[in-house]
Amino acid sequence: MSTKLAINLHKLARFTNTAIPIFTLLFFIAGWQISFYFHFITVPMLGLTLVNCYYLFAQRNHSLLRNFGILGQGRYILESLGPELRQYLYSGDTEERPFNRTERAEVYRKANNIDSASSFGSQNDFDATEIKLRHSLFPISKERLLPYQLTFGEERGIQNTYTLTVPFIISGMSYGALGKQAVRSLARGIAQTGGLMNTGEGGYPKYHLMENCDLAFQIGTAKFGVRHEDGTLDEQRLAALAAKEQIKLIELKLSQGAKPGKGGMLPKEKITAEISELRGVPMGRDVVSPTHHPECEDYPSAVAFIRRIQEVSQIPVGIKLCVGDPRQFAELIAEMKRQDSFPDWITIDGAEGGTGAAPKAFIDRVGMPLFPALKLAQDILVSAGVRQRLKLVASGKLINPGSQIIAFCLGADAIATARGFMLSIGCIQAMQCGSNTCPVGITSHNPRLERGIDIADKALRVANYIHSLEHDLDELLCATGVRCVRELSFEHLYVPLESALYPFTHRN
Amino acid sequence: MTSPKLKIVSWFTQIAAAAIMGQTLYFKFTAHPDSVQLFTELGMEPHGRLIIAALELIACILLLIPSSIVYGALLGSCLMAGAIIGHITELGWEGPRLELGILAIVVLSCCITTLLVRHRELPLLKAIQTDKPTQRGPRNH
Ligand SMILES: Cc1cc2nc3c(=O)[nH]c(=O)nc-3n(C[C@H](O)[C@H](O)[C@H](O)COP(=O)(O)O)c2cc1C
Repeated sequence: MSTKLAINLHKLARFTNTAIPIFTLLFFIAGWQISFYFHFITVPMLGLTLVNCYYLFAQRNHSLLRNFGILGQGRYILESLGPELRQYLYSGDTEERPFNRTERAEVYRKANNIDSASSFGSQNDFDATEIKLRHSLFPISKERLLPYQLTFGEERGIQNTYTLTVPFIISGMSYGALGKQAVRSLARGIAQTGGLMNTGEGGYPKYHLMENCDLAFQIGTAKFGVRHEDGTLDEQRLAALAAKEQIKLIELKLSQGAKPGKGGMLPKEKITAEISELRGVPMGRDVVSPTHHPECEDYPSAVAFIRRIQEVSQIPVGIKLCVGDPRQFAELIAEMKRQDSFPDWITIDGAEGGTGAAPKAFIDRVGMPLFPALKLAQDILVSAGVRQRLKLVASGKLINPGSQIIAFCLGADAIATARGFMLSIGCIQAMQCGSNTCPVGITSHNPRLERGIDIADKALRVANYIHSLEHDLDELLCATGVRCVRELSFEHLYVPLESALYPFTHRN
Repeated sequence: MTSPKLKIVSWFTQIAAAAIMGQTLYFKFTAHPDSVQLFTELGMEPHGRLIIAALELIACILLLIPSSIVYGALLGSCLMAGAIIGHITELGWEGPRLELGILAIVVLSCCITTLLVRHRELPLLKAIQTDKPTQRGPRNH
């Protein structure tokens, strides 16, 4: 049997397996007859022989080792080094997923407040899929821009409205998914800018509350923090939380882009005593939230439940969902219209969204990507004539100004990002959020890893990142010749043939 | 994960190995006549004696630092295997040599036990350390 490689690995393995014991014997004889110093080699060779025998004859777990012995190990070694080698050496600047090196570098530079000008030209694949902003022949100057303001709850005329002045929201990440140092860094940083942070579905937001920032409290399908034993809503605890000065908004999570139709997951490695207490869950077991809220069985009950939360909390209440079937979304909006009862905002989370832990099939294959979903949602709201009844928030890889402006053009009133802010506090995309081993300590509860995070320094980066995003947004608005994000529309986008948005270009 | 009980076993064997290896170091470093005699027979006086002593010292230290235990155990078992080869080929097992030989065997067993308990910590082997596949039950609703 021959392989196509120049070296025949099968033969090489057979040779190695015979050579190892023979050389061991030779060195033993040399050590015995010539000089004892040879035994410095005999002994390791002896070890190698034993391990090789174990691989070839004793173990049954790995066919490769059983057939090829120690040489087969090389494959496992190389494979285990693969991700690092690829990340450091071999993958191009625009190749990696979910965020390639140029995208990450842009966030890092913004967070460090380093000029993000690039030289010579774009590295993007220009013709095929990239959506572009149509700038105006007559850009405006910055003085003419209107300040960003978005008031949640104004449509319902409630007393406790909340006015957002920073269009970039820290998307939901619970204490649990993140460690406490990371939560506090983000909270302190956003507090410095006057922006908004979402608590994620982690129950009582102990660490989020510490830094005095404005918070949106999230209710996940397990309702951590506001649940009765049977998983239904505990109105008293909700009212108590909503009455807190810092909690400005409530977000009901129906689904999330990374795992639509599946509840949140917290692997047992990350459940410390404190987290088990804050969430009211046992330790030593993966916690998997239910797939849905027991209160939301169909359209009428879902809308009624949103209204009930609005009534109990007395503050603006929004929902977060990932669009699956746009017809269902349209039906939901129709039901809202029928009951004349709307959430104060809807967060559209794209299927490309991140997560601490989710089954691979859900991460990769479930839900609609953000741009088409957002565009559809906007169109559905407009054609139902209710676009002015609520706000739209968009999330899903919107970490750079270039993609954020597209979301604004598609109808978003504000942007939420989780991983953008993680990158701003030093995330290196090691992809270990679920295992408590995050090398930079962001998604870990191991004190030795969390030690790496200096809250004051990271908070500054969060604030820098936001200010830099605001700066770039302003410049893009000027170039487009509009005074605020509300004036942007789909017409401001150039959509090439291969883009997922292309079908929308000829609809009207 | 290595179970806590096994970890306690491992600490016993580590400490035993380090203690037994450690107490011979003094004789090796100070060139005690018995020690010099041994290494002369092996043809390794004086450099071999000092090299071996230094390596044994390193092994002792590594065995006691939590993050390097497996490396200490590896080095220790290599050194002891060498010592046993020495007894087989040159030194023999008569009189006090028997005691020395047996000690070497004891230390070797301690090091190997440590390695077996902590095999998950060995570098490079990581990729193949997955435990035996366990059976997954049918869906439960
Ligand atoms: C570590 C981590 C934890 C998250 N936890 C939550 C959560 O508790 N609730 C939620 O609705 N979304 C959660 N998400 C999803 C984000 O809020 C967001 O919807 C998604 O990552 C898309 O934004 P991005 O692409 O900008 O990261 C989490 C994401 C990450 C990366």
